[in-house]
Amino acid sequence: MIKSENLQKRVPMAGAELEILKGITLEIKSGESVAIIGASGSGKSTLLGLLAGLDEASAGSVVINDTDLGALDEDGRARFRGEHIGFVFQSFQLLPALTALENVMLPLELQGQSRAQEQAQNYLERVGLAARSGHYPLQLSGGEQQRVALARAFASRPSILFADEPTGNLDTRTGEHIIDLLFELNREEGTTLVLVTHDQALADRCQRCLRLDGGMLVPE
Amino acid sequence: MSVTATKMLARDWRGGELGVLVMALVLAVGIVSGISAFTTRLQSALVQESNRFLAADTVVTSGFDLPEAWLQEAASRDLTTAQTLLFPSMVYTDADAMSLASVKAVSSAYPLRGELTYSPEPFAAVLPSTAGPEPGEVWLDSRLFPLLEVAVGDEVTIGEARFTIAAAARTEPDQGSSFYGYGPRVLMHYQDIPATGVIQPGSRVEYRQLYAGDTTAVESFSRWLEPQLQNGQSLVNIDEGQPGIGSALSRAESFLLLAGSLAVVLAGVAVALAARRFSERHHDYVAIVKSLGATSGTVNRLYGSSLLLLGCVATLLGCLLGWAIQALFFALFSEQLPVQPGPSGVRPYAIGAATSLTCLLCFAWPPLRRLGQASPLRVLRRDLLPEKRRASGDYLVGLLAVSLLMWWYSQDWRLTLAVLAGLAVTAGLGFGLALMLLRGSRLVGMSAGSIWRLALAGLQRRGVENALQVVIFAMAIMLLLVLLLVRTSLIDDWQTQLPDDAPNHFMVNVTAEDVQSIEQLLRADNIPSEAFYPMIRGRVMSINDEQLPSSDEVQEDRRQRETNFTWSDTLPNDNKLVAGQWWAPGTEELLVSLEEGFAERMGVAVGDTMGFLVGSQPLEVRVASIRQLNWQSMRPNFYFVFPPRVLAQYPATFMTSFHLAPSNKVFLNQFIRTYPTVTVIEMDIVIEQIRAIVNQVSAAINLVLVVILAAGALVLIAGVQASVDARMQESAILRALGASRRLILGGLLVEFATLGLCAGLLATVAAELSVYILQTRAMDMAYAPTPWLWPLGIATGTLVIGALGVYSCRKVVSTPPVTVLREL
Repeated sequence: MIKSENLQKRVPMAGAELEILKGITLEIKSGESVAIIGASGSGKSTLLGLLAGLDEASAGSVVINDTDLGALDEDGRARFRGEHIGFVFQSFQLLPALTALENVMLPLELQGQSRAQEQAQNYLERVGLAARSGHYPLQLSGGEQQRVALARAFASRPSILFADEPTGNLDTRTGEHIIDLLFELNREEGTTLVLVTHDQALADRCQRCLRLDGGMLVPE
Repeated sequence: MSVTATKMLARDWRGGELGVLVMALVLAVGIVSGISAFTTRLQSALVQESNRFLAADTVVTSGFDLPEAWLQEAASRDLTTAQTLLFPSMVYTDADAMSLASVKAVSSAYPLRGELTYSPEPFAAVLPSTAGPEPGEVWLDSRLFPLLEVAVGDEVTIGEARFTIAAAARTEPDQGSSFYGYGPRVLMHYQDIPATGVIQPGSRVEYRQLYAGDTTAVESFSRWLEPQLQNGQSLVNIDEGQPGIGSALSRAESFLLLAGSLAVVLAGVAVALAARRFSERHHDYVAIVKSLGATSGTVNRLYGSSLLLLGCVATLLGCLLGWAIQALFFALFSEQLPVQPGPSGVRPYAIGAATSLTCLLCFAWPPLRRLGQASPLRVLRRDLLPEKRRASGDYLVGLLAVSLLMWWYSQDWRLTLAVLAGLAVTAGLGFGLALMLLRGSRLVGMSAGSIWRLALAGLQRRGVENALQVVIFAMAIMLLLVLLLVRTSLIDDWQTQLPDDAPNHFMVNVTAEDVQSIEQLLRADNIPSEAFYPMIRGRVMSINDEQLPSSDEVQEDRRQRETNFTWSDTLPNDNKLVAGQWWAPGTEELLVSLEEGFAERMGVAVGDTMGFLVGSQPLEVRVASIRQLNWQSMRPNFYFVFPPRVLAQYPATFMTSFHLAPSNKVFLNQFIRTYPTVTVIEMDIVIEQIRAIVNQVSAAINLVLVVILAAGALVLIAGVQASVDARMQESAILRALGASRRLILGGLLVEFATLGLCAGLLATVAAELSVYILQTRAMDMAYAPTPWLWPLGIATGTLVIGALGVYSCRKVVSTPPVTVLREL
């Protein structure tokens, strides 16, 4: 379960302070799928970063599965992310130095799992890329790269998956395939899904929609 | 994680990102360990060389018989020993021909170090020998054969003993170590001395005991021996080698150390630049890995282990390179070095490894360490820039590390300071000047065509980064110019010191009556010679009426001593007055002019009075001037010069030096026949040896210069690469907007060439300053401004950096813009 209480984010900008998030309070239940939508600059990505523990809030709190992220330092949050959180990004964020298989293995190795390769191979099969496990990201198409990213996100069996515009860099058809795959894996694994998107059709496939405007949650 | 580290490393290697870093490390380790190994081995060769000139590791000389017990003690300490005795004696033939000879009796083990040479026939080919003549035999100097009208196999008489002539004596290793008893050499066996009956109590002889062996055993034996020496006995130390070779090599050594220090600076800068770029390009990686749960500790371990692995490989390769460099140097030298250089040991490679470790810790690690602190939020926001807060601290650490390394390596703080001063000027003055120049170029550029506007706008936009880049380029170019300048003046200096027609023979014992006819003879045969200087033996007795202690009483410099005096109305060639004034020709005043070092040791200044004993006559004079002279000039040099009238009444012999070409050597035979009493000292072999070694040292220096140029080029490449990403991105966008290939490449060329021009200008100014400090303070040479440096420095900067910049960015016009943008 994710709970945020009066979550605020301010950044210094040209001598003044810019308030990006103005006190967000929300609750997302285990296994729920939630879309965060809003216009560019409404603070979607900032909210995602705070909820996922990638960033520190200026005020307020984020509690995930009874752990207060604000009480952890960056290394503590990193360990927490490794154990509980998976990510899918708009720009895929694969390591170009590693093959598809090695990219999927990375979070498992970070957790110190002994059967990392076996498990990674298994997830690559599930996204239909078993045959391309030895390829490097630059040798894969955008859709294929995002499938590798999906395999990597689910391979560490996170309880929560954060997705930031997962189809933003893909054409419509490829995007649809990726979304199908995302929801299918989500269902099978029983993961909580938090998704940031511009795409209303994608948002509609989630159980709940949160709209951000000017750094505040507005009713749908 | 270590698998991931090696995989990432391998991938980065293939991507060419680590090339500069590894190359810089390999070069730094290679140059440092190579030069260090070379100088270590050269030192050991020099010590052996000195020993060779002693014919032993250590020697005791004495005017009277030396105790047998010392030889036994030495033998019990596992030292090998030999004995020699030098004495003047007449040599007769049955046909009553005779000549005064300088006889040297040597025991069977002589020489312990170095080589004795002989010829089966006089003036014939020179052959090496491991021992001197057998008992009952003698070797005669070649010129004694015509003088005595004898041949090999004939008999001669020395004192009461008869000897068979077995060969012609050519050279002995310790020939030059005693000027005692000039005259043609006769070598005989030590055992035959009693039979000749010529050695009587009070005879003018020189006994020597020679010892050689393991360094520590020789040292401990010397310590045992020293307290037992009596007056008139002395221990000759191993550092009394050949001053000519020694000085050439020690200057070469300080040049090589300078070069090595510069290599460390250059490599450090290249490593720092490459590591910074590497770290900037890895911020995305780290953000991803951290978003996946890696802690900063994990990231640090990942990059730390990569760096360690890289460092190990680079150090190993560097040590191999270093070994190859010194091996190449010695391959160049092998024919000239008369002795086999000793092993270098592991120290040079340890120095190399320490250099590598320092470069990694102080230059490569700080930017990589900051990677651990990179924010994982960058996976969502690419505009999030890496923290630049502590970068100035890194520079400080790097500067400190470089200074310490340079000092540790050269063991010379003046040299270190000179280079640091140059670097500080480049950095401090340079940064401001570069900013100003770049701003100025913007004003000029406003009215220029679009290529110029594009380029100058680019320069202006990244003003601070560009100024920093100019400083780095300027430092690299400055260091290269400094090295080039010092090398050139060093080699020029050697060449002027030993010109081809430098005197290579000394002539002593010339009577006053013979001077004129010999001068005529030399002139007739076109043999260039110095003036004839009168030579009078005299004794220094007192300073300012204070009687000096005799040499029997004290060992220090300030004591009575016998030396050669000369007289002259004019300041001798090559001499320089450093105090006082030269006397008017024909003066009758009682004056003297002193050599600078001698005056210093004796504590005498201009205006002091000195008392001498010439023959049995006391003489008191006032010090009129102090002279500086070059002992290596191969010209007659004297501690004391008097006005002619002061010494005119004393009997004198004359000396001079002259140059005799190898093809003209037969002149000597003729000359010796005509003037049998004149002694000719042949220095041509030694001079040739010095010249050959100087040539080889010059070759070695040029080789080092090439290696350092490579290090400099690496800095330039790393510097260009550091800014390539931003420029590539802009150019790709321009290209996407339809800019022509010509516009983009032209713009880049102008941009980089302008940076190069500023850097070249700065570098030239700083190089002049550094060289001035180096030459006047550290290397004891005269400073001369170098006008050719300016066009060279500026052209190098403009052309090389312009070309490198365009070459590094060439991809932007040959690949589709989208690919370029995607890869960045």
